[in-house]
Amino acid sequence: MSRFFTGGDSSSESSSDEEELYSSEEEGQDQAQKDDSDEDESEEEEDESESESSDEEGGRSGAARFLRGEDSESEDSDEDRVKTVKSAKDKRFQELESIIKAIENGQKINDWGSISNEFDKLNRHASKVGESGKPPKIYIRALVELEDFMNETISKQKVTPKKMNATNARGLNAVKQKIKKVTKDYQTQVDAFKADEDEFMKSEDEAPAPKVRKPKATDTYTEAAADADEEGFSTIGKGGKTLQFTPESIFKHLRGIMESRGKKNTDRLEQIKIMEKLYSVAVTPYQQIRVLLTLVSARFDLSAGGTATSMPLEQWKAAEQDISNLFEVLNKNQDHIVFEGAEEWEDDEKPPTLQDGEKYIKVPGSIVSYIERLDDELTRSLQSIDPHTSEYIERLTDEGSLYNVIFRGQLYYEHLRKDSSLETPQDSVNRIVMRRLEHVYYKPAQVVKILEENAWKTAPAGFESTITPQADVADATNLLNVLCNYLFINSEGIIRARAMLCQIYFLALHDEYYRARDMMLMSHLQETINSFDVLTQILYNRTLVQVGLCAFRKGLVYDAQNTLQEICGSGRQKELLAQGVMIQRFAQVSPEQERLEKQRQLPFHMHINLELLECVYLTCSMLLEIPLLAQTGSSPDVKKRVISKTYRRMLEYHERQIFTGPPENTRDHVMQASRALAAGEWKKSINFVHSIKIWDLMPDTEGIKTMLSKQIQEEGLRTYLFTYAPFYDTLAVTTLSSMFELEDRKVAAIVSKMISHEELAAALDQVTSTVIFRKGVELSRLQSLALTLSDKAAQLIETNERTLEQRTQGTANAFDRRGQNQRGGARGGGQRGGRGGARGGGGQRQAGGTQFTGGALGAAVRG
Amino acid sequence: MAEYDLLPKLVGHLDRHLIFPLVEFAANQVPEDDDAKNLEFTRVKYELLKTTNMTDFIGSLKAELDGLDEAPAEFNDKRQKVLSRLEQFEDETSKITDLLGREEVVNNLRSDKVANLEFLKKEHDVTIENVNALYDFGNFQYSCGNYAAASELLYQFRVLSTDNDKVAAATWGKLASEILTTNWKEAVEELQKVKESIDGKLFNNPLAQLNNRTWLIHWALFPLFNDDSTRDQLLDLFFSPPFINTIQTSCPWILRYLAASVITGRGRTRSTGQYQKQLKDIVRIVKQEAYEYTDPVTDFVRALYIDFDFEEAQRQLSLAEEILKSDFFLISTAEAFVDAARHLISESYCKIHARIDIKDLSARLGLGQDEGEKWIVNLIRDTRVDAKIDYKEGTVVMNHPPSSVYQQVIERTKGAFFRTQVLSAAVAR
Repeated sequence: MSRFFTGGDSSSESSSDEEELYSSEEEGQDQAQKDDSDEDESEEEEDESESESSDEEGGRSGAARFLRGEDSESEDSDEDRVKTVKSAKDKRFQELESIIKAIENGQKINDWGSISNEFDKLNRHASKVGESGKPPKIYIRALVELEDFMNETISKQKVTPKKMNATNARGLNAVKQKIKKVTKDYQTQVDAFKADEDEFMKSEDEAPAPKVRKPKATDTYTEAAADADEEGFSTIGKGGKTLQFTPESIFKHLRGIMESRGKKNTDRLEQIKIMEKLYSVAVTPYQQIRVLLTLVSARFDLSAGGTATSMPLEQWKAAEQDISNLFEVLNKNQDHIVFEGAEEWEDDEKPPTLQDGEKYIKVPGSIVSYIERLDDELTRSLQSIDPHTSEYIERLTDEGSLYNVIFRGQLYYEHLRKDSSLETPQDSVNRIVMRRLEHVYYKPAQVVKILEENAWKTAPAGFESTITPQADVADATNLLNVLCNYLFINSEGIIRARAMLCQIYFLALHDEYYRARDMMLMSHLQETINSFDVLTQILYNRTLVQVGLCAFRKGLVYDAQNTLQEICGSGRQKELLAQGVMIQRFAQVSPEQERLEKQRQLPFHMHINLELLECVYLTCSMLLEIPLLAQTGSSPDVKKRVISKTYRRMLEYHERQIFTGPPENTRDHVMQASRALAAGEWKKSINFVHSIKIWDLMPDTEGIKTMLSKQIQEEGLRTYLFTYAPFYDTLAVTTLSSMFELEDRKVAAIVSKMISHEELAAALDQVTSTVIFRKGVELSRLQSLALTLSDKAAQLIETNERTLEQRTQGTANAFDRRGQNQRGGARGGGQRGGRGGARGGGGQRQAGGTQFTGGALGAAVRG
Repeated sequence: MAEYDLLPKLVGHLDRHLIFPLVEFAANQVPEDDDAKNLEFTRVKYELLKTTNMTDFIGSLKAELDGLDEAPAEFNDKRQKVLSRLEQFEDETSKITDLLGREEVVNNLRSDKVANLEFLKKEHDVTIENVNALYDFGNFQYSCGNYAAASELLYQFRVLSTDNDKVAAATWGKLASEILTTNWKEAVEELQKVKESIDGKLFNNPLAQLNNRTWLIHWALFPLFNDDSTRDQLLDLFFSPPFINTIQTSCPWILRYLAASVITGRGRTRSTGQYQKQLKDIVRIVKQEAYEYTDPVTDFVRALYIDFDFEEAQRQLSLAEEILKSDFFLISTAEAFVDAARHLISESYCKIHARIDIKDLSARLGLGQDEGEKWIVNLIRDTRVDAKIDYKEGTVVMNHPPSSVYQQVIERTKGAFFRTQVLSAAVAR
């Protein structure tokens, strides 16, 4: 069967050929050889020019480079015709040549170490260049030459007693093994090359014109298989049968491939190539679907071996394309469906036909798994790419197409769900909706909008989604709502929790603090989060942080600090948010754990800016801690009330420094601002805080800065009063207001509040509008110690009661003196504060509604 | 003022019959000569009661709407139908009501419902249908506006029926009937029953619990503001965690009523400790819910206790007074509220200030100077504040003695002995 025949009726021709081939191997072989030579002749001319040009290019340098334009242009015209030729081909060839050169150099000085390295490189490049299944000629030549040289060396080695040094010996061995393997792969070409060097080098290099591509490819494989048979092993096909690609034989091939799946020594790339061919010959939708399904899974298998490596880019793209094709096919042929529960069709000879009373031809396969896998692979590859390169951004653009695929998948499942007889599992729909949600939740509304618009464009016209009708989801917030509500209603457990977290995250991102907070509290996730898987815990942490940042943007310093405390106070933000691996000093991490941790890392574009986070956290801590420090002053229970340990430690460290230079990083800025604030120099403090550059990353920077100035003014006033109250008898409100540039009324309000909360022993004189400080309120050391002692005693009793209560499992109601907790149930928060809150002296700060008692953190790290 | 009108929000959580007094009240607020408005209210009443069986009243409403002299004929038909149904129901239930009226039967009833039914079946040939007829009849009576009869029937039904859903419905029905007959003691008892059934039966369905509690809270407003004796009990109910959560989640506007009733209850509560605690709670919740709901009453609380802005508090107080006067539930307590609020203002004002200008304080309380002076004198006498009036200067001088350390230590350790005793007793058990 030669290419000249294919102009006519290829199918009948090939089938007859096939019979022939089955009947006699010999014949097939002969034929194959004949084909080869035929081809060679016909394309001789074309290739000559091509290989020449590439040769030339390899040697060129300097000024000659400018001539390339011309050259490549002529190449381009070639390429127009030849579909498989890539524009980067020249470059690759050039690289190949240089590598071969390097190998030759290595040979000259007998440096096997470098030869081995270069050879590895060569193999990699060759596989890239030879995408169409044809390795480049120069590669084959290099291969053969290297093999010869190697054999020579080995034989020399045997004769001479002089030993090689270790590196060389190792290199030699490595090359030896690799060559064996590679030559096996390219046996045909190598043989051809050996047979007639010149002829081979001249022979065709590129794939032939698309029109005749299929049958030609067939040829190559026919001979490949035949040759393989001769060698006594077979990678494809069974028991000495040669492979032939016709629509009829598709299933046979597929079966062969399926059977070899997962086995050792299967060349997956090879199989993929075969299937690509199969797809192009497949005529009926059933065949197309089957081929595509197997093809996609084979592509995924490529990366299955080493979990650390990600799928090659071109394979990912191809897989994405295949899935899209699959959707096209399925859309065109509504009577075919891909269905998880379908039965395997055993008969290869007869494709299944539509039975009476059945609406569909069911093909087994799981589209949702493919989509999930595709998604995971993208994430994996994003993890491995350096985020600061343009490569990352290029790769990121693929997310758009991935989103489209997910969207199509969702539409497809909705379509299946419409027919209740199919009993499509709810789970699949949930999974796909969840994936969609996970691609949306962390993005600003504008981005989501663009994503959505593109997705709707790819959908076939007239398709309407039942879950997310186009009209309803035009707005990103609505989309999130619709998706999340769907999951709330239809799913449970982890997916529901994740949906909830996603929605909270989105709300927090869009400055809907109260809604986000209420949802967070009502979800009760902080109680159960420890029992979820690590990924969900990470999502929880991320959401928590986002809620905290949102509170800060709203100017709710106390809430922000409280929310961020758990994550930022731990000093392990990086780990908790899965944005980098921390080097652990004390704990030994097994490689297995490390690998898992690496896998969990989020791709860079999803990161929350850690520096900004730290900055917000420290600023909030400053605003709360500085007045507190001033208030507690020198009393003996200073140690008791610490809001943020991390902040305290930093402050202490900063104060110990003998010389302090101008602030350099965020932390320095906040620390110096703190010192200024503590000294009552609020203006200086504001300057320090304002000069932090990272505020620019926040939306509405000016607003944030004004908010901070206001807060600093107020806290400055409080700090001032706490610090200097003992030195004054009276203090005019107007003095204070001019000192802190606040309104009289505001000052009066702040002072009143302090008096009312018994923070300040003073009273206001309304007539003269002054603050009168009371005398004799300072406690002696004995008195304050007595107070502390009484507190401790009270605590002891409390602890005893609680212990007993735990032991008796709630039967000891006798201790619940105050009825029930103030605020349990749906709002979570108060549970803890309930008991201690009533006693004033306890010094517990009750968080009201915003105390997330998650504790999700430790577990999130430990895994 | 219209923006603070809660009627539209309340209506969604009340029964038709319970809404009627509210609408009636709103209609009375409208000036007599505003015909269009009056007509509108009549229409509202008509729409509201259209589906009930109070045919006479609906008929007259309709007549008023259409400007007729007497009710249209269709209402006569309807009336006849209702009457005949009434008779039919009476027939059906006469037997069982008779039985329940007889002493020897009632004496034989036990607390076990199943056994009761069995007993009645055996002795007096009562079927389950008869019992259910009681329920239907009760429902019908209620619809006719015969609340007392409905209450009685539903009570009888509840004694006998074993159908949990119907019993729950009957309890709600009885609660409504008791409210409408202004039988507050009974109503509060029913309230407790409903609450228990919500806690118990709907345990697995948080959403239904939330909805039912929301309803219950709204219904409870009737007894809360009409009966002093049960007020403490109801306030405790409102402040219990599940209910306060419900208020925060689904109906924050109830905060107005809660705040008003706490503030008004100033002089009434048994212990000042409890009052302080309630006040603290309400301040906290008002603060938390400020983003969701504000009105002059909550704003007053906020200005006074969170922002310490006395001028603002005064402003809000006068606004709140107007609100209270146009609110169905609060109108009767408006005076008391303003009085109590003034007390609160002056209390915290005196706490913070050492010397106060009487003139200024009077202005803050919305009183004239003489009145203000009298007020302060009363205040000093009532609350035993350590203060003196300097008549020449026109000021009040407060004397805040610092709390003694020894006193503090004593306070803190006071309960320790008792608690330890309880503890050791519990361990010994």
